Amino acid sequence: MSLFTDTWFQTIRHLKTQIRMRVWIFMNLIQPILWLLLFPQIFKSVSTLPGIGGDYLQFLAPGVVVMTVLFGSAWAGMGLLHDIDMGILSKMLATPINRLSIIASRVIASMVILVVQAVIIFIIAVIMGVDIVTGVPGVLFAIFLISLLGLGFAAFSNGLAVLLRRPEPLMGIINFIALPTVFLSSTMMPAQLLPDWLDTVRQFNPVDYAVVGVRDLVLAGYVWSDLWRSLLVLAGWAAAGLAFGTLMFRIRAE
Amino acid sequence: MSIIETNQLTKIYPGNIRAVDSIDFEVKAGEVFGFLGPNGAGKTTTIKMLNTLIQPTSGTAVVTGIDIVKSPAEVRKNIGYVAQDVGVDEYATGRENLALYGRFYRLDGQTIKHRVKELFELVDLTGYEDKIVSTYSGGMRKRLDIAMGLIHQPQLIFLDEPTVGLDPQTRVHIWDYISSLAKAMGITIFLTTHYMEEADRLADRIAIIDLGKIIALGTPAELKQSIGGDVVTLSTCETGEEQCEEFIRRTQAALSNKPFVLGTQATDGELAVYVNKGESAAPTIMRLLANEGIEVETLSVSKPSLDDVFLKYTGRTIRAQEGTATTFAQMQRRRYRR
Repeated sequence: MSLFTDTWFQTIRHLKTQIRMRVWIFMNLIQPILWLLLFPQIFKSVSTLPGIGGDYLQFLAPGVVVMTVLFGSAWAGMGLLHDIDMGILSKMLATPINRLSIIASRVIASMVILVVQAVIIFIIAVIMGVDIVTGVPGVLFAIFLISLLGLGFAAFSNGLAVLLRRPEPLMGIINFIALPTVFLSSTMMPAQLLPDWLDTVRQFNPVDYAVVGVRDLVLAGYVWSDLWRSLLVLAGWAAAGLAFGTLMFRIRAE
Repeated sequence: MSIIETNQLTKIYPGNIRAVDSIDFEVKAGEVFGFLGPNGAGKTTTIKMLNTLIQPTSGTAVVTGIDIVKSPAEVRKNIGYVAQDVGVDEYATGRENLALYGRFYRLDGQTIKHRVKELFELVDLTGYEDKIVSTYSGGMRKRLDIAMGLIHQPQLIFLDEPTVGLDPQTRVHIWDYISSLAKAMGITIFLTTHYMEEADRLADRIAIIDLGKIIALGTPAELKQSIGGDVVTLSTCETGEEQCEEFIRRTQAALSNKPFVLGTQATDGELAVYVNKGESAAPTIMRLLANEGIEVETLSVSKPSLDDVFLKYTGRTIRAQEGTATTFAQMQRRRYRR
């Protein structure tokens, strides 16, 4: 009970904080639009390659949704770092607050934001001419898959924040991980065009499972062999992130 | 009735740093208890053990009747904590900050509404409830911070260096709020500070802590009385350091066996001479030193301050220690954060 209410009131706090940062909201919406406009131009000549289907925007849109969610949630730990640095965390720990609610509220707030972002990007993509074969139910399914990916990254990020306690190493790790996980997947290129080693590596990359699942739903329909695998792997990823986050919080909070 | 009672409370940090070393003291319900010492003396570590943020290495304490080691969660319900860092959320409004803490203490919406109004009045922030905290001045943030520690009307509140980093004028304001708090709410206040004046002005009783140990405890008046009537401070430092030490050594030799001298203490090229009656002792001292051929540059007579008390018990002034002690405290904090 206390876990639920404590989490609720802190989630509200985090969401209010985000909403008050106008620049942040603006940039987060501009960025995916930029990707959607820019990449099909850069990769114009590859759109005729097999596996893309003649329209790179159509191929890329699912990847852009996943990328936006990945980048957003990977940075989730920065907010907690700010609380640690300002002495807000230690003050909270001296109250009867449920310990777990501190990290749970941060992860939930990240999820709410990434769902809203994903919906907006899907809408923009449709406006730009992307055709989603499974329609609204497919989009909801896609958002569920992406949420699991984001949940995992947000929880890992918060766990790392508690572990490292400084912004510099956290920024280093996130920068190190974020872009490579995009390129070590089929986000930009269809799997059949990737070299063999990369095709093997991507199977250990949770981002790839999100991209494959979402792309199926957008381009191909309900390919259950892929979707089940994505669902299971991403659920495992989210659970691992939560386990790591709560463990770090237990042993390192203070 | 005691609201805090410690029993051999000890905290040893890695590297065998004895931050707090087997301290025993008691805080009575309703009093303002000052914990006075230089930076790095162990004040914050003591507070963090008493408010359950860290576990003692050994020993324990009973806070509001509950053992801090056995049931930390229960202790948290009864205490308020205002840390040295102003832990307010600057992206939220003052009301939101306070209300969130109200929720942490399981207060209902209606109660929170009343308390917010009362507390904003108490700390003189009425009218700023719905302003974002980033628009507050440093003093306003500290007042909000203090109010956040009071939202659940705790029996006991810990104030860790409540005026550190504030300008002198704001400091005096915060002192007024703390005194009015003690009177208006009848709350017990445990306060740490390295400002002598702050302890002197606010605290009913003071414990002086240095290097993790309590070296003196009593009311400010008692502590000052333990020194004697007056302090005569002599110096001749403008002539260079070597001569300075020579001056102190010779002066001490000339005065120490005189019956009217209660004690002497050297520091920073000055010599403090504790006597019963400063006005009559000063000319005598001058005559005695003239006979010995010792030249005195300056002489002052003063009532003993807590500074003198600290000097008497540690052999150092609290100010002289600050430079090195700060570095030590920062080192500790950094080590702890990693």
